[in-house]
This record gives sequence, structure tokens and C-alpha cells, in this order.
Amino acid sequence: MTWLTWRQHRAEMYTLGLLVAVIGAFLLAVGLPMHSLFPGGAGQCVGITVTDTCSNAIRQLAEDHGYASKMLSLFSLVPFLIGAFFGAPLVARELELGTWQFAWTQSVPRMRWLAVKLTALGALTAALAGVFAAVVTWYRQPMDQLNGRFTTDAFDVEGLVPAGYALFAFAAATAAGAVLRRSLPALAIALGAFLALRVVVAGWLRPNFQEPHRLMAVVAADDKTVDPGGSRMATGNHLDWVITSGYADSSGRALSFPEAAQMYVAAQREGVQYSAYLHERGVQQWVEYQPADRFWTFQLVETAIFTGLAAALLALVVWRIKRRVF
Amino acid sequence: MTATEYALRADGLGKRYRRTWALRDCSLSVPTGSVTALVGPNGAGKSTFLRLAVGLLAPTTGSVEVLGESPATNTPQVLSRIGFLAQDHPLYKHFTVAELLRLGRSCNLRFDQGLAERRLAQLEIPLDRKAGALSGGQQAQVALALALAKRPDLLVLDEPMASLDPVARLEFLQALMSAVAADGMTVLFSSHVVPELERVCDHLIVLNHSRVALAGDIDSLVGEHRLLVGPRTNADLDKAGTVVEATHSERHTTLLVRDGGASAAPGWQASPVGLEDLVLAYLRRPARQTALVEVPA
Repeated sequence: MTWLTWRQHRAEMYTLGLLVAVIGAFLLAVGLPMHSLFPGGAGQCVGITVTDTCSNAIRQLAEDHGYASKMLSLFSLVPFLIGAFFGAPLVARELELGTWQFAWTQSVPRMRWLAVKLTALGALTAALAGVFAAVVTWYRQPMDQLNGRFTTDAFDVEGLVPAGYALFAFAAATAAGAVLRRSLPALAIALGAFLALRVVVAGWLRPNFQEPHRLMAVVAADDKTVDPGGSRMATGNHLDWVITSGYADSSGRALSFPEAAQMYVAAQREGVQYSAYLHERGVQQWVEYQPADRFWTFQLVETAIFTGLAAALLALVVWRIKRRVF
Repeated sequence: MTATEYALRADGLGKRYRRTWALRDCSLSVPTGSVTALVGPNGAGKSTFLRLAVGLLAPTTGSVEVLGESPATNTPQVLSRIGFLAQDHPLYKHFTVAELLRLGRSCNLRFDQGLAERRLAQLEIPLDRKAGALSGGQQAQVALALALAKRPDLLVLDEPMASLDPVARLEFLQALMSAVAADGMTVLFSSHVVPELERVCDHLIVLNHSRVALAGDIDSLVGEHRLLVGPRTNADLDKAGTVVEATHSERHTTLLVRDGGASAAPGWQASPVGLEDLVLAYLRRPARQTALVEVPA
């Protein structure tokens, strides 16, 4: 069985292994010069007053490695590729070619056949996605120390979640293949499910994995960060994940953008600083955020969501093949 | 009736896909050591029956026992005793023949690699060739060699020759029959071509409209049936319930009866019936009549 699994899926193993190796080599090649910009670590270059070396390094980072964010957003599809290319043909190819009748009439009971394949290819999926995430996590170190790890080009490609995403893609493609009996449509369905779930989780669920912290204070008379477009209230740690922020009147009622804009116009007419105008009227600014130290908790929650759904989909596959509905 | 007497026994076996029955009320037995043909038109339920027999499907109703065990349990023991050749003999086309043999070795309790290699060598099928690069007849031979290497007690073949050209059919049949002669295993195979059956089979199962229309030893089935030819009549001739089919020409009426050879009524001439005509008569019967024929298990 082990030999059969290897022989049947070695093309995917080679291709996906090569993909991860190429990505790893590339990130290593562009990551080493980036890391060398900050000989003492980027953590030293944080704060309002930084040394010249630091500000040079940060400028250099923006100039030479500004593409990193777009590139990493693209890389967030890598876990899908890994999982779906192992999963889609797993059952579908047997059904497509009729070889299920050959495979399941050898002396290996089909439940064992399925268990070996799911375990071996699932483990490989998680391992490859894990290696990918480890390389990206290393690559992003300087950026993480400067910008935090909660942006989508960091959180979605670092730590544990890529393995969870890949397992979900694996399970979705396997299940779609078992239902549709075709590899290619299975791949398409899996991609749709993957993107939908990623958007829902990242957009709606992730900001509320834990109750966000909330800060609220009257605008200081000399606060230069305030502008009518919105509050940029600091949380005290630039690595925190700011979810929303805004203004509220002295009673705590949130102010809408037109109200804030009206006040700005009024302040201009009176010829006073916007911040002073707000301060005078007791206007407060508030911020809701997830503290930076919740990174691993959030990673665990999100990984659990995707892995849990993957397990449910694989249970569906097992049930379908056990019931012999073909 | 013991398990050793019959390689396969079905009792009230039925399989339903969603709302349609692919097979209903199927009760029959296949004697150990027999070569049994399963005959019927396309869609009669032949593949369903065979898949139930090898454990690829689980029955909706009734039961099937192979070598005393239920194939639906899917244990390695029962699987190892059944060899199966599916329709169009599906193989992994990108595997070489040698790799297919390795697959057989790694996925079976017993696998006689030497036997398979000898068979393939005799047929001059190169082991380093990819299965997909072989001719249809060679692929069928490889699939047969793999199934035989399991040294099964029951060999099940689903339309094994349907996709083969006449030469390949003959070669396949020869290979199959020499293996049967050497090993004495029970063989059950489906076909919709009747003429080639007579030479190789001793038992017959006719499936029609998802039900068993006729089953039994070929010699006794042929002996129990005969043709009666007499003056044309439209009267109800089937008082005894023995008439399988009545055909009328301008002056004569021909009856196919299953009466075990009782003496014919005056004015009627009896003659034996050939296997092909017998099978065709049962296949021509409409669905409701098929159900009425009593089938001795």
C-alpha cells in the first residue's frame, strides 16, 4: 500500500516539493540581503527616535523590498496548491478511469486503502505547507518587528495557519472529487470553497476570535495625528492589530464622518487647530484592537477552524466510500 | 447445501440506486468448480450483480455469500479469495507491467508473481512497457494475469471480451480456459454474446429486466425445454404454465415449452432447442412475465 501510494502520487510529490523548494530558495536569496539591513535586528529600529542607520535601513527596506507584500499575498495560494493537488485526484482519478474496481478488489480492504492514502497524503500536505510557512516566517522577521504580524500578508502565510489552509484544501478537493468523480471540476470547486472560507474567516471571524481591547480618551489639544478622516489613536504598541477607531462626543456617542468633517470646517472657520477644537468640546477618540501578544492564540483558533472543517469533509469521504455508492 | 458445494449463493439479493432497482429478488447459486455465464442485455443488472459478488457494492436487500463469507465485509481474507476483472479491464495506464505486478504483490496476501510472469512471457508482453502502450488485448491479458496471480477460488469477469477484436477474444478465452483447467477455480463471467458461451460454460444465469429469468446447469436447461410445432391457433395454450414463448406464422404455431419432455399433444411435433434460441426466448419476454417464471435456486 505504501509503495502504491508513493507510485501513484509521486508526480504530485515531486512537483509540489519542487514548488516549495523553489519558493524557499527564492525567499532565502532575497531574504538574506534584507536581514543584513538590520545587523542588530529590526527590533532596535522601533520608536519615534531612531538612529540614522535605522532610518536608512527602513528606507532601503521600503525601496528594495516593497514588492514583498504583494508577493506574499500571492503566496497565500500556495497552501491551496499543495492541498488541492494531492486531494483532487485521490478518489476522483480512480472513479474517472474505473480503476477503483481494480484497486478495491485487491486484498486491501478499501477502508484501509483510504486510510493509508488520506494519512500519507494529508501528512505530506501539512508538512510541505509547514516548511513553506517556516521559510516565510523567517523571511518576514524584519517586517514583523516593524509592522506586526497581524496584517494579511503576514498572518496568512506565517506560523500554523498555512498547514491548516492546506489541509482544508486537501479535504475539500478530495471530497469534491469523491462526489463529482472528476479531478478537474473537483479542483475548481475546492478553489471556490477555499477562497470563500478564507474571506469569511479573515474578514469577519478573525477580528472577533477574542473580545478586542478598547481605548477611549479625550483628544489632546495638541494632538497632531487627528484629522477628520478618522482617528489614528495609538494603542501603545505599534505591533497591535487595530481593527477600528473613530471619534465620539463627550457622552460617548460615536461621531459619523460628516459630523467630524463639519467640526473640521468649523475649526477652520474659527481659525483654531482641529485638535484644540475637538478638545474644547470634550470630543473623544477611541480604538479597538487586538494586542500583538494574541498572535499565537489567533493562529491556533484559525488553524483549528480550518482543520476541523477538513476533518468533517474527510469524514464525508470515508462515509461515502464505506457506503459504496459508486 | 454447504458452503463448499456452492462458490456463490445469492438470496433475495437486490440493489437499488436512488429510485431505480438495478437488481431485484435475485436468488441463485453457482456450484463450486463450475464455469457460469451471466447473460443479459445491457442494463439488465449484470455488472451490479458481479460488483455485489466481489464486495464493491453492498446489497440493498437480501444477501450474497461467496465461499461462505459475505463479500460486503471486505475483509482481506474474503478479498484475497476473489479475483475480479472489471469491464474494460481498467489498469493504471501509466504503470509499467512490472509495476503492476509489484502493485499486486504489495496489495495482496498471496500473489504468485512467478505465475503472472510466466503467463506474460508466453504472450510476449514486455514487462517494461507501460500498460497504456499495450494493445487492448494485451491489457486484458495483463489484467487477467494479475487476477489469476491472486490464486483466487472464485474468478469474476465482467464482459471480459467485449472490447476485444476477434483474434484477441479467442486468445483471451484460451488463456482463461487453460487457467481454469490448471487450477480448477470457479469462474463467473458476464457476456451478451451467446454463441461463444456454449463452448466454455457449464452453467448459465439469464438476467433480464433486473431479475433472474433463468438459471441452472446448461445441459439440464436445454433438456427441460423443447420446441413444439403445430397448426396455427390463438387459443390460450399455456394452461399448464409451461409455455415460455409462442410464435405464430401463417399456418403454424411454435411453442417453446419447459415441460421436462412430456409427450406432445396429437398434431404437435417436438424438437430440441438450441442454447442460443433458448436464451433469446427468455430475453424477449416482457418485464412482467419475467417475474412470473419460477426459478429453481
